[in-house]
Amino acid sequence: MGATHLPSTEFDGTGMDDQLEAEAEAQLGAPAEPMVQLLDPDGTLGSDPVFSKYAEKLDPDTLRGFYADMAKIRRFDVEATALQRQGQLALWVPLTGQEAAQIGSGRASQPQDYIFPTYREHGVALTRNVDLAELLRQFRGVSNGGWNPKDTNFHLYTLVLAAQTPHAVGYAMGIQRDQKLAAANAVASVEAGQAVEPNAAVMVYFGDGASSEGDVHESMVFAASYQAPVVFFCQNNHWAISVPSSVQTRIPLANRAKGYGFPGIRVDGNDVIAVHAVTEWALERAREGHGPVLIEAFTYRVGAHTTADDPTKYRESAEESLWRAKDPLARLEKYLRAQGLADDSFFEQVKADGDELAAYVRKTTHDLETPDIRTAFANTYVEAHPLVAEELAWFEEYSAGFADEASADEASAGEAHRVQTDRAAR
Amino acid sequence: MTTMTIAKAINEGLRATLNNNPRSLLMGEDIGALGGVYRVTDGLIAEFGADRVVDTPLAESGIIGTAIGLSLRGYQPVCEIQFDGFVFPGFNQITTQLAKMHSRSNGNLTVPVVIRIPYGGGIGSIEHHSESPEALFAHTAGLRIITPSNPHDAYWMIQQAVDCQDPVIVFEPKRRYWLKGEVDTETPGASADPFKAHVLREGTDATVVVYGPLVPVALAAAEAAAEDGHSVEVIDLRSISPIDFDTVTASVRKTGRLVVAHEAPTFGGIGGEIAARISERAFHSLEAPVIRVGGFHMPYPVAKVEEDYLPDIDRILEALDRALAY
Amino acid sequence: MTLNKFNLPDVGEGLTEAEIVAWKVKAGDTVAVNDVLCEIETAKSLVELPSPFAGTVTELLVPEGVTVDVGTPIISVSDAVDAPAPAAAAPAPAPVAQEQAAGQEQASAAPMYGTLPADDSDAGEPAGRPAGGPLVGSGPKADAVKRRRRISAPAAAGHEAPSAATATGAAAPVVERAGVEAHDIWINPDAASSPADAATGPAGSVEARPTFGGAISGLVGKVLAKPPVRKIARDLGINLADVVPTGARGEVTREDLVSYQAQRDAEVDKADSFWGKSGRPQEQRIERIPVKGVRKATAKAMVESAFAAPHVSIFVDVDASRTMEFVKRLKASRDFEGIKVSPLLILAKAVIWAAARNPSVNATWVDNPDGSDSAEIHVKHFMNLGIAAATPRGLMVPNIKNAQDLSLKQLALALNELATTARAGKTQPAQMRGGTLTVTNIGALGIDTGTPIINPGEVAIVAFGTIKQKPWVLDGEVIPRWITTLGGSFDHRVVDGDLSARFMADVAAILEEPALLLD
Repeated sequence: MGATHLPSTEFDGTGMDDQLEAEAEAQLGAPAEPMVQLLDPDGTLGSDPVFSKYAEKLDPDTLRGFYADMAKIRRFDVEATALQRQGQLALWVPLTGQEAAQIGSGRASQPQDYIFPTYREHGVALTRNVDLAELLRQFRGVSNGGWNPKDTNFHLYTLVLAAQTPHAVGYAMGIQRDQKLAAANAVASVEAGQAVEPNAAVMVYFGDGASSEGDVHESMVFAASYQAPVVFFCQNNHWAISVPSSVQTRIPLANRAKGYGFPGIRVDGNDVIAVHAVTEWALERAREGHGPVLIEAFTYRVGAHTTADDPTKYRESAEESLWRAKDPLARLEKYLRAQGLADDSFFEQVKADGDELAAYVRKTTHDLETPDIRTAFANTYVEAHPLVAEELAWFEEYSAGFADEASADEASAGEAHRVQTDRAAR
Repeated sequence: MTTMTIAKAINEGLRATLNNNPRSLLMGEDIGALGGVYRVTDGLIAEFGADRVVDTPLAESGIIGTAIGLSLRGYQPVCEIQFDGFVFPGFNQITTQLAKMHSRSNGNLTVPVVIRIPYGGGIGSIEHHSESPEALFAHTAGLRIITPSNPHDAYWMIQQAVDCQDPVIVFEPKRRYWLKGEVDTETPGASADPFKAHVLREGTDATVVVYGPLVPVALAAAEAAAEDGHSVEVIDLRSISPIDFDTVTASVRKTGRLVVAHEAPTFGGIGGEIAARISERAFHSLEAPVIRVGGFHMPYPVAKVEEDYLPDIDRILEALDRALAY
Repeated sequence: MTLNKFNLPDVGEGLTEAEIVAWKVKAGDTVAVNDVLCEIETAKSLVELPSPFAGTVTELLVPEGVTVDVGTPIISVSDAVDAPAPAAAAPAPAPVAQEQAAGQEQASAAPMYGTLPADDSDAGEPAGRPAGGPLVGSGPKADAVKRRRRISAPAAAGHEAPSAATATGAAAPVVERAGVEAHDIWINPDAASSPADAATGPAGSVEARPTFGGAISGLVGKVLAKPPVRKIARDLGINLADVVPTGARGEVTREDLVSYQAQRDAEVDKADSFWGKSGRPQEQRIERIPVKGVRKATAKAMVESAFAAPHVSIFVDVDASRTMEFVKRLKASRDFEGIKVSPLLILAKAVIWAAARNPSVNATWVDNPDGSDSAEIHVKHFMNLGIAAATPRGLMVPNIKNAQDLSLKQLALALNELATTARAGKTQPAQMRGGTLTVTNIGALGIDTGTPIINPGEVAIVAFGTIKQKPWVLDGEVIPRWITTLGGSFDHRVVDGDLSARFMADVAAILEEPALLLD
């Protein structure tokens, strides 16, 4: 996996070949470099010398679960888009087409692992048991971080591209230190009858566009230098708003890892089984202290960048059709049916579950409470801050000085939103 | 009480930090084997090991970013940015991530990262080694910024910064690293609160507010002014965000005149914030406009003309003269 | 039956209007939630709008080809359903949807999951508005062009309400203090009760000489005035300390300067023409002023006192340097923040302390009590300490009731209060009754000492003069110290020479060493 050919000098002319190949690749939809694939678009399960053994561990319930998750998150996506078109959300970031990359990788993580997403990983959120309604708070404009990461080990969305990649490496460096300490105390714990905590790893998501940011480079340098237990999961969905991945890279993104000194592996991002296998391998490896891995999930952003975007302005519908033929759900459905692992009643149940989720999401969105600016005062600092207190006091007086009804509402809203001042207990 | 230079005081403060906080660690370029380009971290790697005194790759954004990650995992990282002029690759992580993470998470996450930055000029150095960028960070809510002017404060403030649950930037006046002073390593005494300003010298005719490297200069100016019969009060601001406006206001109510001096350029500098706020709070006490002393609106000049650029005793006295003439 | 209206939303981060390109439904059609209603063209792209409601289309409110603003109702849907819900099918023809898929997510190859059942909670919402809050995606909010009506003007003079109590998100102690400062923005604690007055001696030093209006001196330190006023004063050669301040925050205003100047001019003019020209008739050179009001009362009291009580005046020079030091420290202390502190405070305390040790000075000579022939001396075991004040209405002596019970801080507050009230000319008769001993602060007028007249009903009065730096001998060396000459007048019927001397010595002792108060 990955090019073994290295240019002999910096003036090696193969750069042009790579570019042409990359462009052809985008047009044909077939990667020039080999990528790990187990389930092809027709739903046939193939084999891979390294990763089949992971696939073989998947029992029918798990496989059906993959399908159910992907269907669920797709349905959620459709509903959220509709809500945006109805003015209920300010913006929505759809993940259509990337379900397998997210569900497959997310399901390979373990509860003690910590995940750093970008802002499109609603599928991973689902696998981490984040209440999907909480995701919507950000897009409704009532919060910049709708859930508590400590509950699910799923970090908040980071909107500055790639800024989360060094966070992930730092977190992994923290895990290393914790594990070193735990190892030192391991004998004592075992003798005391305490369960030894399982090792943890970090997984950080970013896209092909973000891969150009300097922070990705710096985090990979750090990760390699310290052999940090972090899996870099790049969803190459081929488009960064309107800029194709061929502008972000001349070579398969997975190949960059070699430059830093750790393995990079490209996987068919629409093949949930392969994604799961590769991710499981990578996370295990990291947990065991063998350092970072870069996974490039080769997939496609079927929808727009966000609901404020219009892909008809920059890409061909023919290309979209090509990728729709490689749909992650379709191929798994074919496989499940062919293997007798799922029938009509299963798929109808899945549909019904999706509708139920959609209704829940719709209702929750409508019921989202409007925040009060007083919480923003309270949350700027952990510890008491004289300027914040002064400005808040001014704001209270100012607000109370209006003669119209709005001031009465604000005053009672203020009462309703008094925030616990003592954060020392946290 | 021990006599120490500021550099040594910070070194001792870091040592105390590493001893008292098992989850604290230092990270930066050249801080390990070399002990830091100013030897501020000298000897610490030998004492605490490479896991706690980490020589990082040359990547400021990476340093700050990984520190954020470590703090999310429950650690207390103390980053060093080697020189003020090189903090800018890390500006994104500091302003979009470090400052906002607590607020973004609705209070669920804390990122108690400390960033130490040697700052200021007067050392005859090359480009980017003499900057004073504190105003750029003060304008970002979510950060706290402190700056010690003497060894006792240097010893205690670094420890208090680590104990603080908010992200703290500690600006260390590099030209004063070799300034000696008495340090009480048992109790902080008057330096118990890093966010309070200190009245270093009492006076009645005018107040001079300074911080960091200009503190000794202001004291010298006050001494010179006394010879001319003017009683000048000198305040060491110590904390740039938050600013202790109460102490400054009380002083101006007493003296009626205020001069603010900093190495950073006057335009857009901290002096402007102080001038505006004091004029609101103590308008009727003002006998003169607030006069600011600072660098000129130009990139920090070459070493050979640095003297003409930096506020010195004469520049502060000129400002006092103007204020007193009203 | 509820009629729901769907307002055109902002579908793209700040769009202000859109054109209805094509309707996909018509009146009478049954729609389910998320069925495509129409296609709109915005500045950015072509977008399909899914229905927020389930029910029957009653009316298309905007024709095709028309551009409307975001927020305009475009369709109304009643929640009554005339026909059974359509079978589960993709809401829009797939090829059309694909070509015009701008912004609309559809995985048409993958199965759609049908339509949602009609949801009551959706249908019940009027005009597409959720129950919870404002409509997001309502376009850039227009700037308000009219001002919201305010209840009251912000700066109530001297009003320092505890709005700090409503501040949140910070620990209480910081909030309290900060809350006071919050008001600094428009409620200036530069009022008379502001802290940090001049460290230099107040009553004695020339700078802080107040006028007859601010005669309760020692309580006014630095003069407050806006910069332009200071300039005018300088240009006119007016000492701001001489001007009566009438500003809301205790500052000297332009108008104050104008009246001061006018008065000065008038006096000067008058002075020039005061002396009647010789040669004019005598009667025309005599100004006749009727005696009434406060002048009448004052005269009566003076006569009563002066001729009923044999006055003896004694004087003592005191080194009050330690008092000055103490006052300076009090001014700087957190405890006394916001409270005016001056040597008069210490003197008041000294008088109270000394009176306890020499009780006869705190007494009244009563002639013919209960109709008998003899007289009585009533020694008061409480101190209603009078402070002589020159007020706009004339000489008044309000007293602080039960001053013996007050702590230093409370006494300071009481003095502040007394001064403010007196300066404003609002002293009430009740405040002037029942005094037991009086202090007259002639130092405020720049006078070193004097022979004051005892307030009727009392037997002692202390004159507190200027405190000046004078040469003094300390340990054989002549050094400058803060010296004041205390004067006291006593009713010799009640207070003999030795008692009066002891009393004055005791007062002096405190001024010399305030720490004795701790005893």
